[in-house]
Amino acid sequence: MKYTALVARREYVENARTKGFWIGLLTFPIVIFLMIQVPVWLTEKVAPIRAFVLVDESGRFEKLIESALEKAHQQRVLEALREYAARNVTRSVRSAGAKRELNLPAELDEINEQNAQALETFINHGGAENVLKQLKPWLKPGAPAFSEPRRRFVRVPLPVGIGGNEDASDGKGLSLVASAATSSSNLDLAVLGRELKPYLRGQKKVEVDGRAVELSAAILIPRDIEQKVVRPGAGSPSAQSRGPAIEYWSANVAEGGAGLKDEAERAVNGEIRRREYLARGMDAAVIREVEHTYAPFASLNPKKEAGQETVNLGDKLKQWAPSGFVYLLWVAIFSVTQMLLGNIIEEKSNRIIEVLLSSVTPGELMMGKLFGIAAVGLTLITAWMLSLFGILSWKAGGVSDVAGQLLAVLKTSNLLPLFSLYFLLGYLLYAGLILSLGSVCNTLKEAQSYMGIITMIMMVPLLTMTYIPTDPNGVVARLLSWVPIYTPFTMMNRAAADPPLIDLIGTLVLLVASTVGVLWMAGKIFRIGILRTGQPPKIVEMLRWVRG
Amino acid sequence: MNMNAMLELQNVTKYYGAFKAVDEVSFSLAAGTICGFLGPNGAGKTTTLRMILDIIKPTSGTITVLGRPSALEVRHRIGYLPEEKGLYKKMKTWSVIAYFATLKGLSRKAAKQRAYELLERYGLKDFAIKPTDALSKGMGQKVQMLAAIAHDPEFVILDEPFSGLDPVNQQVMEEIIRDMTSRNRTVLFSTHVMQHAERLCDRIVLMARGKKIFDGTIPEAKRIIPRRVRIETQDDIAPVRGRSDVLSVRPVDKANGAMQTNGAAQWELQLRENADPQSILQFCFEQRIRLHSFNQSEPTLHEVFVQLVGPEAKEAGFR
Repeated sequence: MKYTALVARREYVENARTKGFWIGLLTFPIVIFLMIQVPVWLTEKVAPIRAFVLVDESGRFEKLIESALEKAHQQRVLEALREYAARNVTRSVRSAGAKRELNLPAELDEINEQNAQALETFINHGGAENVLKQLKPWLKPGAPAFSEPRRRFVRVPLPVGIGGNEDASDGKGLSLVASAATSSSNLDLAVLGRELKPYLRGQKKVEVDGRAVELSAAILIPRDIEQKVVRPGAGSPSAQSRGPAIEYWSANVAEGGAGLKDEAERAVNGEIRRREYLARGMDAAVIREVEHTYAPFASLNPKKEAGQETVNLGDKLKQWAPSGFVYLLWVAIFSVTQMLLGNIIEEKSNRIIEVLLSSVTPGELMMGKLFGIAAVGLTLITAWMLSLFGILSWKAGGVSDVAGQLLAVLKTSNLLPLFSLYFLLGYLLYAGLILSLGSVCNTLKEAQSYMGIITMIMMVPLLTMTYIPTDPNGVVARLLSWVPIYTPFTMMNRAAADPPLIDLIGTLVLLVASTVGVLWMAGKIFRIGILRTGQPPKIVEMLRWVRG
Repeated sequence: MNMNAMLELQNVTKYYGAFKAVDEVSFSLAAGTICGFLGPNGAGKTTTLRMILDIIKPTSGTITVLGRPSALEVRHRIGYLPEEKGLYKKMKTWSVIAYFATLKGLSRKAAKQRAYELLERYGLKDFAIKPTDALSKGMGQKVQMLAAIAHDPEFVILDEPFSGLDPVNQQVMEEIIRDMTSRNRTVLFSTHVMQHAERLCDRIVLMARGKKIFDGTIPEAKRIIPRRVRIETQDDIAPVRGRSDVLSVRPVDKANGAMQTNGAAQWELQLRENADPQSILQFCFEQRIRLHSFNQSEPTLHEVFVQLVGPEAKEAGFR
């Protein structure tokens, strides 16, 4: 036992000193940090200004589109404010009862996508400025100032020299474009579209606040839009025969879909429908009410406790978090078994093994290695988990944030204990295979050609990693669970879906039994293989060692 | 069984599959001796050493080390330097030595102290905190030797300790071995370089083709082949041929430049065991054979072994 401990200690100290270990240790928290932070940076700081031009010959939708975009922006401001408040208002004030008394804006809690009323209230009451004024007395000391999210879309005037904007000395105001668009009635949209193409392709730039930026989109609304509106049943021609009424030009399809086109389309069609209602003699107030009528829809999970069946972001995270753990499990097991292989091969190819075997038995050596490297692996995953908790707690805050929800999922579920258990068992099982392999190979190169096969077999859980959560108790998941080499990964993957007890216990028993079996076999092969030189033995020969 | 024996082998045999690597080998080693374990490559030396260390098990026969059936039971008292030398490449020199010493029972503190002590004594102090892959081959081998003896073992087994070392380092290695024997440690080392064995050993054990073919002191070994006397004369040496203690007389090859300008020839006489070369000299005077030179030379260990091992010795690169 003492010698096992001595060998284990050396394995631990020497492997924990390698660069690879530290890179592995630090990569994970960095990736997690970036995963949380990069979207924030992208939307808040480095997202490029998406400049667009809007030409409305009919003069009827321009203001509507602009105000729709403004609303969308205010919505984001409101969300940012909620998060800001959650983070910076002292806890006691945030308790529900105090809210009304303190006259904190109700929107802070109650806004949601369907409740457009709240957003209007927010805008009508003076927007962010008003809310901030009310929040001020309740902010924690030293709270940072609120910074409004940047606008995603900025309307720019038509580039100089295009579509009647001939006046180079005065080409900056939106008013000018608007007036130009409405006044110069003979503007040909087809010509305009052609002229804008170099800008949309990025060959020419437009100017925003003195900076040259690419024009990302152009919205062109023709004068005769009214004739192009499709009205079912009224005997009017179909959309196909008339061609599109409004042209949305953008070189970047994905970017265009990310909001601008949807906003514009919604604004225009909302307005057309509103007029249609009026034209058919309906009451504007009634229409408004109808538009804001909806049935709240909730997803419920029958497996959750009564009264808490609501499916929320936490539940989604809980469904998918196991996949993340499967990946971690895979990386951890793969990297530490690689360490194990490297160590055995080093001792074998350097013939250090002989000196060792004059001091310790092969059994002590093998166990020492197994435990030493297991400790390295445990250090690795402990550091990962601690840093995960650290980063999540640091970044948590706000009501809708992923970090906080994920933290809650980790704290309340059995994911972490299962992860540790499956890491240990999975490691021991694969370590047994690797020990057998390493002990019969003489060089790392030789071992790696066999390692390729093991790696390929190990790939399966990575391939099924994203499929299993969608059908966690399905045939594929259950079958793979009963294959011991896949049990740790598959059962980890199913952890959030409450697999049947027979699967949970049965696969665990099978896994433990096969781990013991593999280690016993590895012990036999290790003892003989470790002193062998020359060609790796044939499988038949190795079986003889196991029997002998 | 000899209770004073450090080591005792009785009829030890080892098969690898159908191949008999070691064939009924028996010998014993008394405390305080320094024994050379000689033989051509493939003679079974390393296999025998590994069996002594209980790294591999003999197919049959018994091995007793320090009175115990397994070397692992007395591993703290044994040191071993294997034939193929290697160290952990990324470990620091001192910590390699200390690690092997702790495996031999030293406390970590004592092991570290001992490692530094040894590195300083053998001129490697500057490399103590360097990783071992910064060491030259010879230095690495010395470090490995130090690692093998760091726990001051009573019985040291060295497999080819001199191979790959330059003459200066071979000297250092011999010094380390002598240091140990001066403190009454027992050393068993294998080599195929006869000079080392001749200089260092009290005893030699010779193996070939898995069998022990000689076991004894160096003078005993030299007695195995007939003593030789080389004489140079222009006279007829026929009377010498007639002597009963002269086994054979043959002219020394002329191509070797043995033929002298004065017409004298060189002859080599092989004498019967226990014959006295002095009586040959006296006989030559009496027979008026005029000698230009009379040269009584002891056979070298090398010659003894070529004689014992046979033509295979040359094929195996046995020097």
